[in-house]
Amino acid sequence: MKIEHDGQKLSISEIPELSTVNSALFRDEVQAAMPPLLGMIEIDLSQTRFVDSCGLGALFSLYKAAGNGHGKVALRLLNPTPQVQQLFELTQMHQLFEIAQR
Amino acid sequence: MINYFSPVDRALTSRVAFRCDLTEARAAARTLRNFLAAQGLDEESLFACELCLAEAGNNAVEYADAAGRDKPVVAEVSCHASQTELRVTDHTPGFEWPGRLAAPAPDRVRGRGLFIIQSLMDDVRYFSGAGENILLMRKKRTQQQQHRPGGDAPVKIEEAHRQLTECQQTIGNMARELCFRSESLSAIFRCCAELGQTSDLEGFGQRLLGDLLHLTSADWFVLRLIPPKRLQLVVFAASAPALRGHPLALPPMDSPAPSAEVSAALTRGEVPFDARRAQPAAEPLCMAGPDSTGLVHPLLFGETLVGTLAIGQHGAGPGFSKLQLEVIRTFAEFLAIQIAGTRHQEEQVQNRLVAHELEIGRSIQRALLPAPLPQFAGFELAGHWESARQVGGDFYDALPLSDHSLLLVVADVMGKGIPAAMFASITRSLVRALARQSQQPAELLGRLNKLLYAELSAVGMFITAQLVFVDLSRRELIAASAGHCPLLLLSTGSDPVRTLHTTGTPLGILPDMVCRQQTAPLARPGGLLLYTDGLTEALNSAGERFGQKRLMEWLRRHCRLPGRTDQLRDQLAAELTGFRAGAPLRDDQAFLLLTETSAPVGARRRRVRRAKNPNSTFPRQRVARPEPVSVPV
Repeated sequence: MKIEHDGQKLSISEIPELSTVNSALFRDEVQAAMPPLLGMIEIDLSQTRFVDSCGLGALFSLYKAAGNGHGKVALRLLNPTPQVQQLFELTQMHQLFEIAQR
Repeated sequence: MINYFSPVDRALTSRVAFRCDLTEARAAARTLRNFLAAQGLDEESLFACELCLAEAGNNAVEYADAAGRDKPVVAEVSCHASQTELRVTDHTPGFEWPGRLAAPAPDRVRGRGLFIIQSLMDDVRYFSGAGENILLMRKKRTQQQQHRPGGDAPVKIEEAHRQLTECQQTIGNMARELCFRSESLSAIFRCCAELGQTSDLEGFGQRLLGDLLHLTSADWFVLRLIPPKRLQLVVFAASAPALRGHPLALPPMDSPAPSAEVSAALTRGEVPFDARRAQPAAEPLCMAGPDSTGLVHPLLFGETLVGTLAIGQHGAGPGFSKLQLEVIRTFAEFLAIQIAGTRHQEEQVQNRLVAHELEIGRSIQRALLPAPLPQFAGFELAGHWESARQVGGDFYDALPLSDHSLLLVVADVMGKGIPAAMFASITRSLVRALARQSQQPAELLGRLNKLLYAELSAVGMFITAQLVFVDLSRRELIAASAGHCPLLLLSTGSDPVRTLHTTGTPLGILPDMVCRQQTAPLARPGGLLLYTDGLTEALNSAGERFGQKRLMEWLRRHCRLPGRTDQLRDQLAAELTGFRAGAPLRDDQAFLLLTETSAPVGARRRRVRRAKNPNSTFPRQRVARPEPVSVPV
């Protein structure tokens, strides 16, 4: 997993999966990396082949942390695979995040 | 060659058994996905199958109980031509599979697993068994997906053997469980058929517990019940005479319990029993054998504890299985229901008997009241009696002593109900027996007291009474009271209602009572009211007393002399009922009215007319004819 921050934007990429095995670690590392003046979190899911309910839970925790602890921070999910995109829609989590294809 | 696949649809199966661990569950889902990918499933189905296997595996790990954590979780996939079947076998306590779930709110951190499985699979079934559960998930295959028939990838004979042995073992276990459950159900059906139908509780208990011993391979049982209104556990049925021990007292809740049965009763929870660790002197269950083990289950009907059931085995065996424990608990519930039901029936029968006896008592008591009352020319008597319960302690009586004299009696036995009614009957009989011995009411009360004192003081009761001797020709009355309400004298003129106070102690208080009588003229026209304190002490719904003042005021307004006594009686009774306005009668009420109905006739001879009264001890007298009278001004 790669975490970069460029001024106000935190970019996370190279996430092979978000499952019961790694989602807690993913959440904790991203939260630890959040700078004080954060405007945007972008999570690139192009390499994420698998997401389960724990992974969804971790994304939701970040959404809460971004909204509660650091003012209103936009959370954008980039390039999810069609299957992951379907899972977001099935669980209605696409209503919470901005999802974009680039 | 042993081939357990269908020759038409030879499925390809892969199976992974893994430790109860989340990382291993994830790895198993990945392995099975790779297997399914090799069978040609498309990316969407692969994602769905991997996700559902992962969710089911996570649940199997997270919800495993202490015993289940040592057992492997098994995940299997079978690829058929038309569908893919996923199976996860877990060792959790199991749960009730929910109906179709709605999408959880997007802002929930957890709780999406079952919803995802239901949404992504075409068919989901959950089989909950003893110690293990199977989640079976099926997903249909699309036309495009390539199925590689089993023939293309021959199943190794060793693998087939292994799978066959496993299947046989599983089927054997299931058959045993099925057999056990079927026997339990038969026993339960037998009990159900008897529930509420039998009053033979002992026979029912023996049959039920006989079945239970057989089903659970137990060797002994002791059924103790708590008898009504006692704090004891008393043996009701036992598998051996030696186990029929003494009753066990139930100490207060916080005291240390000396035995397993008392402990189960106090804690209302299951208590294990091991004779090897118990003190034989303090543990009656040790009589089951020196190395007996078992448990005690409290018998509860709702919140009510009805007894305990102890059941166990000889020797240090494996103890009861989870299934056997379930059956013991179910049977204990049945027993509790039947016991509570039988007791309820017994109480109902008892209550009906008591109500019936009270009804008889009330009829007898009503029959003891003089009805109709003796009548004298120019005068009329009317009485009223109402009891706060089925039977009561108030009564009135009117005894003709000659053709122009009579004795009026009103008495009130302390208390209400049966004891009061018994003394009322005795007092009435004694007054009737003594009435002709003296025309001095004070003397009669003294004799009554002597006769009743021993019985009354033995039970701590007393009686207030008023006796009034009335001579209608001399228009004179002599009144004496044993702690009773004052006599009310009725007349016309400026002061038409007056009290006549006489002093005296109630009957049963002193061995030699002191009682004074008073003589007063009977007004012309005149009347009397004798009553019990149930009238003046009556309360309305606001808690207000009727009171003597209100009674006298009412009489001033309503008593017309001469006038109809029965009308006045009815009006007063209605006034008393109206005053209560629906409030229950707290005390018995009785009153007796004597009023002049026509103008006095002076010295003309009156004859007494007595009605037929089978209870009367007096000789019947001739019936008087109404005589013309003049009304005084």
